[in-house]
Amino acid sequence: MLDLDRLRVCFGGLAALEGVTLSVHEGEILGLIGPNGAGKTTLFNAISGLVRADDGKVRLHGKDITRMPMHQRARSGIGRTFQAPQPLHGLSVRENLVVAQRFGAGELDGARLEAILRMTGLAARAEADAASGLALAELKALEVAKALATNPRLLLLDEVLAGLETAGRQRFITMLQGLHRQFGVAIIIIEHDIAAIRTLCPRIAVLDSGRLIAQGPPDLVLREPAVIACYTGTGGAIHG
Amino acid sequence: MTELLLQALYSGLLQGGAYALIALGLALVFGTMKIINLAHGELVLMAAYVAYAAESALGWHPLAAIVLALPATGLTAAGMHWTVSRIRADREINSLLLTFGFAVVLTNGFLMLWSADVHSTSSAWLQDALVLGPLYSMHSEALSFAISLALLAGLWWWLARSWHGRALRAVAANRDCAMLMGIAPGRTELLSFVLAGALAAFAGVALYCHGVIQPALGGALTVKAFIITVLAGLGSIPGVLAAAILLGICEALTVTLASSALQELTGMVLFLVVLFVLPNGLFGTARRRG
Amino acid sequence: MALRNHSGVIASLAALAALLLAWGGNPYIMSITIAALMTGGVALAWALLGNLGGMVSFGHAAFVGAGAYVSALCTLRLGVPVPVGIVLGALGAALSAIVMLPALRLRGPYFALAILAYAHIFRIAATEWTSVTRGAAGLSAIPALPVLPGLDAKASACLLAGLLVLGFALAYRAIRASHAGLALRAMHDSEDATRVLGVNSTLLKGLMLLVSSAMAGAIGAFNAHYIGFLEPDYAFGAMWVTLPIVAAIFGGYRTLAGPVIGALVVSLADQLLFKEWLPIGHQFLLGVLLVAMILAHPSGLLPLAGNVLRRLRPGGNGKGGGHA
Repeated sequence: MLDLDRLRVCFGGLAALEGVTLSVHEGEILGLIGPNGAGKTTLFNAISGLVRADDGKVRLHGKDITRMPMHQRARSGIGRTFQAPQPLHGLSVRENLVVAQRFGAGELDGARLEAILRMTGLAARAEADAASGLALAELKALEVAKALATNPRLLLLDEVLAGLETAGRQRFITMLQGLHRQFGVAIIIIEHDIAAIRTLCPRIAVLDSGRLIAQGPPDLVLREPAVIACYTGTGGAIHG
Repeated sequence: MTELLLQALYSGLLQGGAYALIALGLALVFGTMKIINLAHGELVLMAAYVAYAAESALGWHPLAAIVLALPATGLTAAGMHWTVSRIRADREINSLLLTFGFAVVLTNGFLMLWSADVHSTSSAWLQDALVLGPLYSMHSEALSFAISLALLAGLWWWLARSWHGRALRAVAANRDCAMLMGIAPGRTELLSFVLAGALAAFAGVALYCHGVIQPALGGALTVKAFIITVLAGLGSIPGVLAAAILLGICEALTVTLASSALQELTGMVLFLVVLFVLPNGLFGTARRRG
Repeated sequence: MALRNHSGVIASLAALAALLLAWGGNPYIMSITIAALMTGGVALAWALLGNLGGMVSFGHAAFVGAGAYVSALCTLRLGVPVPVGIVLGALGAALSAIVMLPALRLRGPYFALAILAYAHIFRIAATEWTSVTRGAAGLSAIPALPVLPGLDAKASACLLAGLLVLGFALAYRAIRASHAGLALRAMHDSEDATRVLGVNSTLLKGLMLLVSSAMAGAIGAFNAHYIGFLEPDYAFGAMWVTLPIVAAIFGGYRTLAGPVIGALVVSLADQLLFKEWLPIGHQFLLGVLLVAMILAHPSGLLPLAGNVLRRLRPGGNGKGGGHA
């Protein structure tokens, strides 16, 4: 469904992404891991259109979207959350979702909106001011809800679990699994929490210094020496 | 024809030097506080009017009026800084509106005090011709160019070498970090404003010496100063000089080759061309947008 | 709910009717009211661009003048009827704004200055393009506004101006209440967040610029036919910038009624007080007023008064009226 072909993104002289070739299939959950600064968020930026690739191609359902502007990619089915939540200011939670549906999905669907509110646990906070009235866990849930409201075929989740404590983390993981079952959307999830990755993702990809160094089932990938090396230096193992 | 062009280039160069001095104060404040002082042109004009008042009422030589102009613009600039620092919310918009209000106050103040008549110096020496080969200029033009260069060089050195100068650059680069390193941003910002006022004083006195002044000129000066600031790029004094000279030369060529009525238009068109040819804006983070 | 939606409209129409009944025969009061409404219209247009477009403009005079000249020329040279001329004026101003669309991606001060540059360019173009605009000599004998039956010319013009401004307010409100309005409000602080949700922020901002310029152009056109004479310094004059801004800030530029009420108060103050005290430099006092307002209460003196009144009312409820 999504094909990245030798994607290259440079900032000045620095290659943030180099020769990244990756495919994501309909409905699958792909984990994206790697050390800090590896280029994971940059990859999301390149896929969603926040940043334009210097070389390589991005294809969605076979169509080349490398030059497509960001808002059009959203309408074509790519939804994305930000690492630091960016609720729409001045609007309530419900209004956030209305904007997402109206512009991202193209039309309002009241039933789906209510379903999203319910499943992300925001139904009780629907009229709260999105920018100032929510706790961190709720803000993160809103990020996911907004992205879902655009009717995406692909959802990019950027460290949605960061900052949540253990119980909250568990609840969030359960919520994500429920959403995946309900809406059948493909997900790429960036996470540092290896246990969460193992729980959620049947397939993972590892990014290091802008290059894709491994992909496959978590159990195999996490045992590869190159992957272990980029996290821990030399030797050891990755526990999680 | 070549003689005409050569003269245009020369006049443009001299005028550019004067423009650089006018623009520098605006660029300084913009660099430090990230705000545009829409009343900057009026500060320059204030100094020019002080020079006029000194000459007509006190019989002074206009150049001597710098002694009066400096405290006048310096204090006004300090006052402007004080009000701007009072703004709590929506700093960008409110500082624009506030300084716009100041500009209106000052322009109309000049109008009431000195009427809409145009004024220029009556000093003969300043208006006498200085001939360099085939090139003509007034003594005042050449003098103001020399003063501009001297002040620009002095400021460049000061920003690079002195403690306060470097503090200024630090605050311009990263206000919070500067605070963490013990630099008081408030005082540094005040310094930048007062310095801008001082530069405006020199620019204004020079302006009076080689040009004509009237109340409406303030706005035009602010616009020109801003155009040059945009062309120059942030944090570059040589850039300000280069951009100012570019503007001066373009104006001179327009007047020579087209019509003097279009002189004001030159800067505007140059501004718009540069702004749209550089699509990421000049000071925004160079993020390639999808 | 429905009544509340319409209550503002009903109140405005009632006020307009009352004004005409009481002072319709008094040309002086009609004149200053019309001037105030002209300012109010531009103030609304300015506030719309600021609130919904997120752009502060110091060059709305460009649109006012463009609309004025387009309408004046179409009615004078092409014999177009005045109402059509005004529509053409609005369209002409919107067209002139199209060349400004690239400026929308500029940040605050850059946009403000870019618009100012356009205003200067338009003024100089109007002055130099003498074959069309007769330059500084100006256009005279511009066809007058149609007179409504039963009213004299001034009262009729006043009513028409009032209806025009009311129309603007309704359009503004409609946009604000729409989904586009939601997205526009969010764009100030989180433009990327809206774009990632599929909002074409550039297009929406561009549309706001076109709407704002069309409104200002309509006012310029109306005014040209009301005055009957036009020349570049007046058409593109600083008063079309300063007065609407002061009015909008005074009345509270975040509300719908604010710019119009602000225009009424400030315009009247300018006409009746400032021009009496300082005939030459009366704008001086406008500037002082602006500086004082930004320092004291940038969201406007009327909202401030509203807050004060609400706090004075014993056991006052949280929600005050007047916010649209």
